[in-house]
Amino acid sequence: MIPLILPALVLGAWEIASATGLLRPVFFPRPSTIATLLVAQIADGTLLGQLGLTLARLAVAFVLAAVPGVVVGLAMGMSRRTREGLDPLFALIYPIPSVLFLPLVSFALRAEEVAVAVTAAFTSFFIVAYTTMTGVQQLDRTVLEAARHFGARGPRLFLTVLLPGTLPAIFTGLRLGLGYTLIVVVAVEMVGAQRGLGAQLWLSWQILRVEEMYVALVTVAALGAALTWGVERLRRRLIPWAQDIGEVGA
Amino acid sequence: MIGAALPLLLVAGWEIAARTALVSPRYFPPPTVIAAMLGRLLTAGEFWGDALTTLARLAVAFLVAALAGVPLGLGMGLWRPLRRALEPAMAMLYPLPKVALLPLFLILLGVGEGAFVFTAAVTAFFQIATSTAGGAATIDPRLVEAGRNYGARGIALFRKVILPAALPAVLTGLRLGLGLALITVIAVEFVAAKSGLGHLVFRYWQMLLTGEMYAAFLLIGLMGLGATRGLRALQRRALAWQEWRH
Amino acid sequence: MAPGASQVSIRDLTVAYSGRDGRLVALERISLEVEAGEFVCLVGPSGCGKSTLLRVVAGLAGHESGTVEIRANRPGRPATAMVFQEHALLPWRTVLDNVVFGPENRGVPRAEREAQARRMLDLVGLRAFARAYPHQLSGGMKQRVGIARALANDPEVLLMDEPLAALDAQTRVILQEELLRLWAELGVTVIYVTHSLEEALLLGDRVVVLTARPGRVKRVFPVPLGRPRGLEARALPEFGALVDTIWAELREEVLESAEAERRVPPS
Repeated sequence: MIPLILPALVLGAWEIASATGLLRPVFFPRPSTIATLLVAQIADGTLLGQLGLTLARLAVAFVLAAVPGVVVGLAMGMSRRTREGLDPLFALIYPIPSVLFLPLVSFALRAEEVAVAVTAAFTSFFIVAYTTMTGVQQLDRTVLEAARHFGARGPRLFLTVLLPGTLPAIFTGLRLGLGYTLIVVVAVEMVGAQRGLGAQLWLSWQILRVEEMYVALVTVAALGAALTWGVERLRRRLIPWAQDIGEVGA
Repeated sequence: MIGAALPLLLVAGWEIAARTALVSPRYFPPPTVIAAMLGRLLTAGEFWGDALTTLARLAVAFLVAALAGVPLGLGMGLWRPLRRALEPAMAMLYPLPKVALLPLFLILLGVGEGAFVFTAAVTAFFQIATSTAGGAATIDPRLVEAGRNYGARGIALFRKVILPAALPAVLTGLRLGLGLALITVIAVEFVAAKSGLGHLVFRYWQMLLTGEMYAAFLLIGLMGLGATRGLRALQRRALAWQEWRH
Repeated sequence: MAPGASQVSIRDLTVAYSGRDGRLVALERISLEVEAGEFVCLVGPSGCGKSTLLRVVAGLAGHESGTVEIRANRPGRPATAMVFQEHALLPWRTVLDNVVFGPENRGVPRAEREAQARRMLDLVGLRAFARAYPHQLSGGMKQRVGIARALANDPEVLLMDEPLAALDAQTRVILQEELLRLWAELGVTVIYVTHSLEEALLLGDRVVVLTARPGRVKRVFPVPLGRPRGLEARALPEFGALVDTIWAELREEVLESAEAERRVPPS
């Protein structure tokens, strides 16, 4: 209950301030107005349509980032040569904001949706790969040795030790990657899409339909929170033995 | 040795593919052309103007984020009531892509530097505050006890024990925050600004000057790389006493 | 190997590394014979190579020259199984799944290996924790799982690398008692490395004192304390006398090892 006090107070103050004109309703419409619009847009399906589109792009982008990311991360963690071979290339591309690749990707791939997904996948791929790689490198060496000693070799060693051992790190990478993919999908939608939450956000700003902008904002925030919560629940299910290792410095 | 192999191979392959029109040279100009563009960019005035603009925005955003984030993070990490009050709000806002706040800031602060800088500052702020809070909250309590036991109190305790103990987490947060701030500044410039490196890339895109565009990418990448590597080196220097595990 | 020969035969074993300051010799032409069913304890100063010796016997480390032979009494059994100092259990597997790990890798059918694992867990008193995860167990319990895992692998030789060193003193005593009981029941060949002279005397049939680096066998002391043995052996006058005698030998080496370390300070 306590965590809700502060936001409730803020919302309450906002409502009053906006209704009395203390805050300009043009910039800060009353939360009740926003809520009403929110409900209306859910009811007539428009919001769910936008949400669904953003979600779909997010899902595709995330899979595009996560699957190669884990594979490459594992490879880089297990083989020094792979790591040294790929690191310089990655280090150069990684700092470039994903959204800048949109032009490039649109040239290469005519289909707009695919372009959005690929663009959003870029940096997330690196995040997943690097976090996974670090996970492999931080495997307890003694555990690895013990497993070998008790007869686990090659594929068995991979399946019974390497993979489960790296799973916590992989999950952290997926969590971070998912968060980042959401950022880029929204950003790309703001730049170049007609539909989707980011598009609604941007377009409603351009025509100064501020309530609609807030609705989109709230929905994006809710989406972000829901995703984080979902990943956390999943992690607790799949990896009962480990804690989240937290942020890994790039 | 190996490290250079892959990029070189890619570059060589790209050169050949572009020259032989295997891929459209309009959209994928050969690396030699890009290199020429790179030279032109660096010598032309406009690039440096934009680069400076971006760096200026980055500097302000980062400073604001750090000045707000570190004290707040320390407060949250060290003082439980504050953490209890703010943590749920922070946890709710952390997953929100701060770039989504850009339109809001544009409305509030108008289309101008304020909105751009603020969006980047907010993004970095959350990272810095969260990392700092985490670091401050996990200081070994025995260190604090030992400090108190040997007579350090109040400000002295803070300066001599708590701050150094939290420093690694603080610096990591700052490093991550800097990276995020840079990414956000450039993304915001791309979307909404009329100056800066992000906007430069956007202009090149509109005018289909692909060679220049790639050259700009390269420079941005190098800039980001330089910033984070530089900060990491500084971190290593400042924390020479810490065993470096990365 | 000739019939009637030792279970473990180490001859002229040399283990060396090339380090920063040239060639570092951990063990130099060390020789040792261990009989079947014997409980041999290795003691020596830090850095004398006793753990290295164990790892070479386990096949975890290579050697420069010399031979290590382990007689195969029953074909199909693994030569060694090691109990590690930091238990080294797989955190993502339950206790039971950890104990079956060795037989699982050898392709032993599920029913058989699980039955064997449960037997071993019974022996160490952890049957009730078969479905628990390692992080839910105390240090002593984790170490017992490590022992069960090694035993479940049914090795010719059981190797134990300071298995009780990471535990508090009280848990140590309890586990020492359990080891005595286990060994009396199973009679497996054991090579046991420890820092504690008292522990070596309590558990072993023979105590081997190693020199400071490079490690060689300095002296071997038989332990005439009778079997089956319990904790009360510590109270026997022979026990105290042996401690003094062996410590006299060991002390020299410990001092020399400390001296050597002083000559090469950490950089």
